[in-house]
Amino acid sequence: MNLLVLYLLLLKASLTSFSGLGSLPMVRNDFVVERQLLTDHQLNMAVVAGRTGPGPYGLYLVCVAYLVGGVPGALMGFLALITPAFLVIPLMRWIGARADIPRVRSAIRGLLLASAGLLLSSSVPLTLDAFTGVFSALLMAASFAVLTFTRIDSAWLMLGAAGAGLAASLFH
Amino acid sequence: MKKLTEIFFRIGNTTFGGGYVTIGMLGRELVDTRRWITAEKFDLAFALARVTPGTNLIAFCAAIGALICGTAGAIGAVVALTAPSSALAVLIMQGFQSWQENRIAMAAIGGTVAAVAGMMWATIWVILRPHVGGLTWKGMTRNLQVALIAGGAFVSARIFGITPLPIILLGTLIGFLWKDERP
Repeated sequence: MNLLVLYLLLLKASLTSFSGLGSLPMVRNDFVVERQLLTDHQLNMAVVAGRTGPGPYGLYLVCVAYLVGGVPGALMGFLALITPAFLVIPLMRWIGARADIPRVRSAIRGLLLASAGLLLSSSVPLTLDAFTGVFSALLMAASFAVLTFTRIDSAWLMLGAAGAGLAASLFH
Repeated sequence: MKKLTEIFFRIGNTTFGGGYVTIGMLGRELVDTRRWITAEKFDLAFALARVTPGTNLIAFCAAIGALICGTAGAIGAVVALTAPSSALAVLIMQGFQSWQENRIAMAAIGGTVAAVAGMMWATIWVILRPHVGGLTWKGMTRNLQVALIAGGAFVSARIFGITPLPIILLGTLIGFLWKDERP
């Protein structure tokens, strides 16, 4: 895939999301559904790789770009990941003075809610791909509960899940 | 500038747990310990990073870097925070690919894949939770808005296969027209 196209596709996904994993629906649509450059399993692996190390959750974009275009692709993914961040500089001047206007606040709210619905839609096939039986379902539920109801670092969660997967494999 | 880059490099690449943990560590260092920035400016950067497209943490770092050292500070902070961890993520991805035939490694990775699926559902809840209202008239109106926009986006994408961009634009337009009545 042309590196410029790769950058632009990832930039589009990054520009239309407002959280690390918020770009996932757009990425899945462009790379899995429309262009079939990745499978759901590969996308899942990219998300895992992005969440395993330190740094922001959006790093999975770099892993997606690496899978599609190798190291030069990863560089494009990195640029697409950081480019939108610099919009905050003009925003500090512009929205800083208007953030309390109800209509601006409502538009942002509408955007966030639509993003949540899209993330929900993308999570269904990725969850089905990760589902391999009762054990994986228990791990999913435990992961959800730990992140929602406790303040345990997600790195510990990933480590625990890897250990549980290993233990289950040895047990069987 | 050198010290600023060093702080973002150190905190950004050694802190696990995502944006909120890293932002907390940066606040402790830049506001409480070094007093390079006021708590008010820190809060403004945090609020605006949440409405900036892309990853909130990276936008937050750009805002703090710009407030302290201008545009060069923004670039330095963002690159110091993300470049090393991006390289590490690619190395982890390479490891995953070369372990495809290793049954033990794949069992461990299978566990983390399941955990990440749970994390996605937790992320959805984190996004939706602040917008869910109570059982009052105003709360129910807010819940209706959540159900219509988030539920509509889900159905449009999942059932009708509509691409994300028009759904996001329509959600923003509905939000703009359906004014938030909060004080």
